[in-house]
Amino acid sequence: MISQCLPVYAVSLQPRTLRPTEALRTMSPATTHSTDFEQLALPLFTSLYNHAHWLTRNPSEAEDLVQETFTKAFRAFDSFQHDTNFKAWIFRILRNTFLTTRTRIATSRTVFLEDQPDTFDTATGPTPEDTLIRLDNQAALHTALEQLQPQLREALLLCDVEEIKYKDIAVILEVPIGTVMSRISRARRTLRQLLQSQLGESL
Amino acid sequence: MNQTTPTNHLRPDQLNAFIDGELPPAEQHGIKQHLTICHACTLRVLSATQLKAATARAGQRFAPPPDALARLTAQLHAQQVKPEQRPQSNQQPQAETKKAARIYSMPSLRPAAWAALAAAILLTVSLLGWRQFHQTNALAAELLDQHLVTLSTAATPQVISTDRHTVKPWFQGRLPFSFNLPDATALPPDATLKGADLTYLNGQPAALLLFTIHKHEVSVFLTQRATGPTFAALPNTRAGFTLQSAATPDLRIVAVSDVNPADLDNLIAALVKAQASLQISK
Repeated sequence: MISQCLPVYAVSLQPRTLRPTEALRTMSPATTHSTDFEQLALPLFTSLYNHAHWLTRNPSEAEDLVQETFTKAFRAFDSFQHDTNFKAWIFRILRNTFLTTRTRIATSRTVFLEDQPDTFDTATGPTPEDTLIRLDNQAALHTALEQLQPQLREALLLCDVEEIKYKDIAVILEVPIGTVMSRISRARRTLRQLLQSQLGESL
Repeated sequence: MNQTTPTNHLRPDQLNAFIDGELPPAEQHGIKQHLTICHACTLRVLSATQLKAATARAGQRFAPPPDALARLTAQLHAQQVKPEQRPQSNQQPQAETKKAARIYSMPSLRPAAWAALAAAILLTVSLLGWRQFHQTNALAAELLDQHLVTLSTAATPQVISTDRHTVKPWFQGRLPFSFNLPDATALPPDATLKGADLTYLNGQPAALLLFTIHKHEVSVFLTQRATGPTFAALPNTRAGFTLQSAATPDLRIVAVSDVNPADLDNLIAALVKAQASLQISK
């Protein structure tokens, strides 16, 4: 009795509706690998695009940059350590990819000249620019962000827009954490000065 | 505790680390202690927090084209097809990946790719939903903050008047839109106009009308419908205050108060009705 039932049971397990290649693709480790990758990477698509746009200043180059970042990140996903920050990892790939593009080569000269070790502003007590300001003028802030030195803007956006921790920003930018802090500090001070010169008394 | 003496003000790098949540708990606590006694530093922290929030908003500026995510997933899935089957697309130079995806993705759009496309669309929709939820929550907080500021006795409206013929013209040239105010007799019983402020909501100019109903303060925000934030998804209450909103063809209206919701409804209805008469008089 049992010996008669057994073959029937075994046959019913065969995925008859699937062609062998499809069955293989559904079950293969490569697919779970890519599913893992997509689950981590796709939610960051809008953030990566926005950041890529700030870096390249061009919608089409931003899209190319994000596509290339995803391609590279997917290929290198095996080397990603799962106990580390995926967002920092993929933002670092985005940045390194950007560094090799034409746009960056064109702008790098001015940027690198200013890349000196930073010192902290050690002034104590409130300064005039620390007075309360009303940041109700979105257009003024957009202009100020655009005027900000790319290197400072990059650090500030990673901190304020992407809410990435200093230590991970240091990984992305490949600089010491002290440099991250001074870039953010300088970025905010410059932003305030730019806003003040734009808006004058209304601040 | 050195940090609690008023002379020991926050250094700029400390201030930045504080608002970015990067300080060790002990130092964070020490600064909070200092802030309770130092008005100057509190102002600086508030100002820095405002700048951070405004930067976050202004920096989140470039949205990808609607079909970019679909293009990306199609490319990713084309990449996952076995390399020996598609040697030419995998050997394209990096810079041409987008073009490659556009050219080669069509024959590779197998069921798996279609499923991915559907997943991508679902993801986009849920991301938009999440963003909207995030924004409406921030908006509710902003509305409540502004209402609480008006409750302070020190806060006097920029224009103080119970007369709609004074309040309405005051906004001329200050706002990129116009609105109508109901006559005192058209307001719900015991509702009085106190004055108005020019304010900003979500970075857009707005008229803030201050009313009282049965001695409860009411803040009514009017924004332009075309550019103003949507109030539809706002919670009905926040921190014990009622939020009620309405829209006319040109305006979005939202009121914040601790008065009972029915009275707030009547006030909003009166305001909506007044806008209708603006339409006719045009």
